[in-house]
Formats: sequence, structure tokens, C-alpha cells
Amino acid sequence: MTDRRTQSRIPLQPLYTPADLAAFDYAARLGDPGAYPYTRGNRAQASGRASWIQRELSGEGDGKRSNAQLKYLLESGQTGLDVIGDTPTMGCLDADHPLAAHAIGTQGVSLCCLQDYRDLYDGLPLERITMSHSLPAVFAVAALHCVARERGLSSALLRGSVIQAPYYCEDCSYAVHMPFKLRVRMAADTIAFCAAEMPKFHAFIEDTYFISESGLDSVEEMALGFVELRGLVRELLRRGVAIDHFAPRIAILLNCRMDFFEEVAKIRATRRLFARMMREEFGAVDQRSWAVNIAAHTSGLTLTAQQPANNIVRGAIQALALACAGVQAIEVSTFDEAFRTPSPEAHLVGLRTQQVIHLESNVGQVADPLGGSYYVETLTDDLEWRIEEMVRSIEARGDAAELSDSGWFRSVFQTAIERHARGIADGTTAKVGLNVHRVAEQNDTLLREVAERKIEPYRERIDWMKQYRAGRDASRVRGAVEALDACARDENANLLPAIVTATESGATMGEMAGTLRRAYGQPADPFGYAEQPL
Amino acid sequence: MNEARNAVKKIRVLIAMLGLDQHEVGAIAVTGVLRDAGMEVVYAGRFNLPQAVVKAALEEGVDVIGLSCHSWEYLYYLDELLALLRRHGLDIPVIVGGSVVTPGDAQTLLAKGISAAFGPTATPDEIIATVTELAGAATSA
Repeated sequence: MTDRRTQSRIPLQPLYTPADLAAFDYAARLGDPGAYPYTRGNRAQASGRASWIQRELSGEGDGKRSNAQLKYLLESGQTGLDVIGDTPTMGCLDADHPLAAHAIGTQGVSLCCLQDYRDLYDGLPLERITMSHSLPAVFAVAALHCVARERGLSSALLRGSVIQAPYYCEDCSYAVHMPFKLRVRMAADTIAFCAAEMPKFHAFIEDTYFISESGLDSVEEMALGFVELRGLVRELLRRGVAIDHFAPRIAILLNCRMDFFEEVAKIRATRRLFARMMREEFGAVDQRSWAVNIAAHTSGLTLTAQQPANNIVRGAIQALALACAGVQAIEVSTFDEAFRTPSPEAHLVGLRTQQVIHLESNVGQVADPLGGSYYVETLTDDLEWRIEEMVRSIEARGDAAELSDSGWFRSVFQTAIERHARGIADGTTAKVGLNVHRVAEQNDTLLREVAERKIEPYRERIDWMKQYRAGRDASRVRGAVEALDACARDENANLLPAIVTATESGATMGEMAGTLRRAYGQPADPFGYAEQPL
Repeated sequence: MNEARNAVKKIRVLIAMLGLDQHEVGAIAVTGVLRDAGMEVVYAGRFNLPQAVVKAALEEGVDVIGLSCHSWEYLYYLDELLALLRRHGLDIPVIVGGSVVTPGDAQTLLAKGISAAFGPTATPDEIIATVTELAGAATSA
């Protein structure tokens, strides 16, 4: 037995030597960067001076206020954008829903209708800048499509991405109160629509970040991610969408915690697993289908409310691991994330962390700088094997819909949450400033003052929404929503064209989501407040 | 109702979240901590309005109400919740805990009439001790 283990509890040796890689086959296991199986990176060249996409998760208030925030971040040197909805928006509820009042625009941006997206994108070159959308995908894509059309911009030029979370959203903070079947359909419809209409847009982001913030380890994170990714791929194939039609635009948004080498190895193993799966299992022949783009967030769960300055160090270590792993985009969770929605000051520190790594450390000059390390290669193999085994064991448990509805997925997250909390409570997981090297509360003042500043709920939105509804062409909205209802009841139809038309007519996200829920036999309002749509 | 409880009866705690706050990590972690300490936890989970919390507390006969918060929504729901408890003549201690609860918030909340406030720096031992003490005080009242 050894007491040396990674954070995922993988046993470690005190030293790795050439003996650990005695039978290592470079071409089969690694290959050069940009070549199958893409372990060393999906591009032949390191990012160099061009850098990965540097962005910070943002969004607060309404579309206008978030637009100003995005422009501030671009002026500060950000090279991409990353927007998340507030809690009502993430739940597909409008700002004037009775449960939304105290949550409007405080933990993200409130986006309910086409005008909100016009305001959000105002002045932003959607064909040049990439915006990552952490938003209900089907509605965000429809709105983006509408805005591009209004600008006379071909949707074929649109860049950016949107997360898909149909398997786990109900259990991990993004509940939309919809049945599994509808959630999967919305994801697959969005991906199929974008493959045809918005070929540069990444509509298939497998988001393992938000699920792993429950405390999943690296193996669980990627195994659950692959289970969902594979489920969606099979669904698209079942519909007759060719693998090479959509696979080149699949990306994975993953988590990066504190175990430096494990996270690097996880990303390398993920690229190899993905390439093998696409080529050998799903029969992709386009090389772009084999090489997965990887974006990452540094972990908010690793941050502590105690001595928040330490979180800047944590973010830097995690971002350095990501730079060494050769990812395409990074977001650093801000130092104040343990106690509030990011402040502007913390956003800037997160961005500066990336800029310092990029411009001063030189790590981006050479591709896969850790490749060939006895340790990193052994760990990469080990993680690949463990992730693959766990995928097999979950898939052997049966149908994903059943695993979701029966609460099995939820039990995985619950176990992880409790394990994480126990690890910190009993000191197994060292957390500097929290369970070791503590300082007295009254002396723990550095960078704490941002915690007392809060973002007020943006309640002006409630009246604004009411006026917006009253100012619409009611019969046009009703017609579009009725057409969406009919479309939703035809399982062979793609929802997107009907959602685009409804969005253009002025229908709100809440109305459209309610229509979809009802078509699937559920109440339009999951909380029983609002009147039925139509 | 509380007088009927004797000393060997397990402490019963309601854990709930308010509004649309979906970040459940703290609520589930605290539930585990209290269960490990031998308490019974009634887990009301997410998406509750104050009425639902008071109703659950009443029906389940809990000794303590614990509200987990990872958003600022609780600041606006708490007055309503405390007023409802008073209207129903319920003297159940309310504890607020969560990542967003700052020292400044704790002062404000205690002045409103809650029994304890825990920020993100609270330890499991502190939480167990406070719940035990408040449950004991409520039971012997």
C-alpha cells in the first residue's frame, strides 16, 4: 500500500523511470501534436504568441449592462467572451416569473427575449469574436441566429459556442424542469441545426465543468462527460446526421483543480479517448472529427473564503496546468468566487493571471512540454484506462433516461459532495487557510472587502417585461407559439426553425419553454404560478 | 409539541433553499454533517418560498430550520419567513448558512431575529454545536 495518491485517489509511485515506459509505443500512444491520436494536442503548432482564448465568465443585470461589462473585458485585453445567464434564465423562466424577483441579473445576465440579445451583442463583431454561451442552448442559438439575420450577417459566419447539459442539468444547478426526452431532443436539434446553418459555431460543448463542481474527481468528471457526449452522438446518428457533419464542432469544457499533473494527464487522456472513440467506434473519417477542442475553467470549488488572496495563487497554478496541457480557451475562476458573483476587480486579476502566464512564462512556445515525462505518460495511460472503464460500467447500468429519472446520476453527485466535504473536514484534503495554516478571523482581512458589496436584483426588468409583452403583435406571437406547439408534438421535426420564428415574433423564453413542457405532458410553469401560454 | 420530545429523541432539522438558488453543494454537505452527528434531517431541497419552508417545518415537527444560501435571494425572503413563523406562533430557531453570508450580513440577520448565521468559514463542529444547542433550548422551552 502507498499513501501517495492523486486527488482522484490513483496510487502513485515515489518515482517514475524509463522502466515505467519500457513498452511505450510513441506513434500509437502519442503521435506528434496535430496527429492521431492527438494526445499531444489537436494542433501541430503550440499557441505561441497567439495564445489560447482568454476570457472570464461574465454577465449581470440585463443585456445592456452585460454588454458594457463585455466591452470592459475586451478593452482589458480579453480575447473571447463568456456569458452565463442568471438563475431564472438558466431555468428557462422569464424575469417577471414570481420566483425570479430576487434573482434577476445577480448571478448572470437576464435574457428573456430577442431585444435582450440585441442589447447583449450590441457593437460586438459576431463573425470575429467568439462568445461562449452558458445559457439554455436552444433559445440562445435561435436568438443569435435572429440577430445575425437582422444585421445582414450570414449565419455561416457566426462563431462561438454553447454548452449542452441534457443529462445532468436537473441535478447540478441548471434545472430546466423538463423531462429527459425533451432535454435530449433540444440538445440534438440545436446541434443538427447548427451543423447545417451555423457550421463555424460550436453547438456541441460537452460541459463537464459544472457537474464536477459538486466534487467529482477527474475520472468521474470525464466518465460522466463521455457518457453524455456518446449519448448525444448516438442520438444524432440515429436521426441520420453523418458523424463528420457535426463531430468537427464538438468541444469539451472541463474543470481544472489543484492536482497539476493529474489535470494535465486528464486532458491528454481525454484527447486520446475522444480520437479513438470517433475513429474506431463512430467511424469518423474527417480528421477534424478526431481532434477535440478543449476549453477549461479553473475550479471554483478549490477556492476558499478564508484568505482569499490564496485563491489568486490557486488560479495561477491551475491556469498554468491548462497552458501546459495545450487547451484552446481558459477562464480563471475569480478570487472572490467563494463568496460572491465575480467583482470587476477580481475579473481583472483573473484575466491578468492568464496574460502573465501567456506573455511572461513562455509556456505556450512549445507544444505539449510535459510529453515524454515518465510520470505524465504513465498517469495519462492510467487515467485513460480508468475513465474508459467507468464509461463502460455506467453504460452497462442501462438507459441514461432511466439513470436520470431514477436518481442514479443524482446519487453520484450527492456522494461526491459528501466525500468532498468530509475530506476537508477531516483534513484528508489539505486546504491552506481553511484546515491548515489558518489565521484568526479578525486578522483575515486582505481582499475581503469585496464580499460586502452585492449586486442588487435588477427588478426594473419586471415592469420592462410587462411592457414588452403588451407592446407585441399578440396574434403574431400566438400564431408562432401555436406553430411551436405543433412542432414539439412531432418528434421527427427539428424545433429550431419554429423557435427562431417564435423568437422573431416576440415570444419570450418562458413562453416557449412552457409550450415545450406542455407538449411533453408537463405543466407549462413548473412552479404552478404563471398562466398557461397561448 | 416540543414539550413532548424527550432527551433521547433525535434532533430534527429542516434543510431548505429559497427561491431559484440552485447551488446545492452546501445544503447537501451540511445535511451529511448533521446526519453523521446523529440528527434527523428533513431535506426540502431547492425552489422553496417562505410558505413552503414554514409548512414543511410545521408538518415535520422540526427543532431547527436551516437555510442554505449560495445566492443573495435569502436576504429578501427572510423577513417574510420570520413573519410567517410568528403568525403561526412557531418558535423554531432559524439558522442561515452559506457561501454568500458575510460578517456584515450576519449582524443584520441576527438583528432581524434569526438564531445563528454561518458564513463560508464555519466548521462542521461549529455547525453541529450550534444546532444541538438551539434544538436543546427549543425543546426545553
